[in-house]
Amino acid sequence: MAALSADIPDRNRFLTDLLHACAQGRQAAFQALYREVSPQLFAVLVRILKRRDLAEEALQDALLSVWRNAGSYAADKGAPMTWMVSICRYRALDMLRREKREVSLDTEREDLDEDGQEVSQGEAVTDAVAVSKAEERRLEECMGRLNDGQQRSIRLAYVDGCTHEEIAARTGSPVGTVKSWVRRGLESLKRCLEAT
Amino acid sequence: MNYSDPRLQDLLAGEYVLGLLRGSARARFERLMMQDRTLGAAVVAWEGRFAGWALGLKPVDPPGYLEWRLMGRIRGESRGRGVAMRNTFWRTWAVAATVVLAIVVVTQRLTPPAQVRAAEFALMSDTKGNPLWLISVHPEANRVDMKVVTPNPPPAGKSYELWMIPDGGKPVPMGLMNQTGEASETVSSELLARLAGAKALAISLEPQGGSPTGQPTGPVLWTAPLVST
Repeated sequence: MAALSADIPDRNRFLTDLLHACAQGRQAAFQALYREVSPQLFAVLVRILKRRDLAEEALQDALLSVWRNAGSYAADKGAPMTWMVSICRYRALDMLRREKREVSLDTEREDLDEDGQEVSQGEAVTDAVAVSKAEERRLEECMGRLNDGQQRSIRLAYVDGCTHEEIAARTGSPVGTVKSWVRRGLESLKRCLEAT
Repeated sequence: MNYSDPRLQDLLAGEYVLGLLRGSARARFERLMMQDRTLGAAVVAWEGRFAGWALGLKPVDPPGYLEWRLMGRIRGESRGRGVAMRNTFWRTWAVAATVVLAIVVVTQRLTPPAQVRAAEFALMSDTKGNPLWLISVHPEANRVDMKVVTPNPPPAGKSYELWMIPDGGKPVPMGLMNQTGEASETVSSELLARLAGAKALAISLEPQGGSPTGQPTGPVLWTAPLVST
């Protein structure tokens, strides 16, 4: 597994091949895909949903959707891992809205510091990273140019699935301020990413 | 709002990816995305920009039974026709049962309607498709039979253990797999009732004598859906 992951284009090709085989109804390919991607996807879901039972349900739903829609995957949907992460995230966000966030955000948090700074720093290097290191560095560089509120808002929304209101509560700022942090942050981020 | 403004489009796409568009705003955006390719491309671009954060999280292994359950589900979908036939079978059975009940009423017998359920089968095969065990569940006899098709002994000091995978909840232990010939296990009516809703059976590698915890501790080596005849 690690050998396949060492080279990103190779890994993307490998995952694309598995998706292609899934589209042809080959169950063994789906099993191989499951073993390859589920720990990373599960990490994303546990982080957003905070509860393992919900994360399991979301992973099952999302991967069934991957199996059913493997035929619609194409390069213009992004890298294969990005495509699958997105399916998982949207599923988790749907579930959060349905659950109306009965779950306390402060319980069962798994060894993360409050604002999620650990993400993409510290233990960031895993064998499942499918975006190039250069792109990741560029994102961090451009994030570094945003003000603190903008950075935290965007990260909390993406990584933890927080709403504007939850970000406001966590940062102790009015919702209106959070909304403009996100908008200005996204605008600057895009400008910066496209300039470099 | 003027959705044709590229700057606004991009902003909305970013907020959509972050999960910050909600309710009707989200629904409207999704509808626009279907009509407008550039909007879809903007979403994919944001997804790609942020993906590094998701992929930078430390991986977490999902529980083993999730894999079996998913494999059971996709096998079930692949057997779409088989499932339809099964439904037909149950409908036919329901009609037959009604007729039986009518006869019982007419003849004023006090015997309860028969709780006949058809036998169900699961064939465990290796990755090359060679059959290893044929497992059959016989509800009428409170019995599960395990027939060795191709002998496949476990490594020294290990046992193969059979599990039922319910549609929800944890795997239920069903006993150790035999290595030769045919073996039968008597199972309780309660277990049989749960088996009726089970999607699949699975076999894991366990310490000799079976899992010490009541849940699978070793890797799951084979899974197979339960199909009725």
